[in-house]
Amino acid sequence: MGLVQRVLETSGIPSVTLSMIPDLTRVVGVPRLAGISYPMGQPLGSPHDVDGQRAVLRATLELLTTATGPDAYIELPFKWPDSPARVRNASKDLPPPPIVDLLKKKPWLTIKLYSGHIPHVEENTQLEQSP
Amino acid sequence: MTIDSYRFLDFASRQIMKAWAARETRKEIPFTPLAKPLRECTVALVSTAGVARNDDLPFDQEGERRNPWWGDPSFRMIPLGTTEKDVKLYHMHIDTRFGESDLDVVLPMRRLTELACEGVIRRPAPTHYSVMGYILDPTELVEKTAPAIAAQMHHESVDAAALFPA
Repeated sequence: MGLVQRVLETSGIPSVTLSMIPDLTRVVGVPRLAGISYPMGQPLGSPHDVDGQRAVLRATLELLTTATGPDAYIELPFKWPDSPARVRNASKDLPPPPIVDLLKKKPWLTIKLYSGHIPHVEENTQLEQSP
Repeated sequence: MTIDSYRFLDFASRQIMKAWAARETRKEIPFTPLAKPLRECTVALVSTAGVARNDDLPFDQEGERRNPWWGDPSFRMIPLGTTEKDVKLYHMHIDTRFGESDLDVVLPMRRLTELACEGVIRRPAPTHYSVMGYILDPTELVEKTAPAIAAQMHHESVDAAALFPA
């Protein structure tokens, strides 16, 4: 997403990203970043928490005004009501993403995910067929 | 940085995201100052939750199942007024049930409209956008998708954009 933001900004549209993993978004090199300690999948807040969502959106947009130069970073003060264990537990019943299934079967490929050396489709097709 | 970016992640995701963060090299960062006060701005939103309208082409989940190293790099336009009743979320790495029960959790168009009523911004753009998260090879996303989103935003005289990784 940071990469998309860079393209928008370069095209002349001022932009801000709200990130739950600001550590990672920031190193991509984005003009304006608001970090928030919320779980994945719920950047603005819990469903139907209208006031909470609006407060997060408003605080994010305010960085458009207050930022004076690139790499502007603020941390939003909002606190998630549940513990990480409860958050993970709530989504336990979901099927794992395809890459997690693949790496369970072929753990030696994990290094490729770490290193960013993504196999090409042809290469991957062969890997899929190997025992 | 005082926020623990990895607080809610499981151990494996935490290790991988830390490795990705460590791999990034310093780049020049673009910056376009806001040309007018926020209260006079038309604002557009972008979500990575893989939101697509039910009357639009779905994101390609089957392609990612066939090749888990691949993510659909296309984008969908989400007209203002679209609600959770009109969409599905296709991102395969998050719990999409939250955004599907309340779209503002990932793409806060109603909250943006409320902020316009309060005078914080001038108006929401007529169109908002979604892409998929988890795109390991961002070539097409950067070279085709993002410029197409930028072009549509310019076409609708958007003054500022807010992006929401999901």
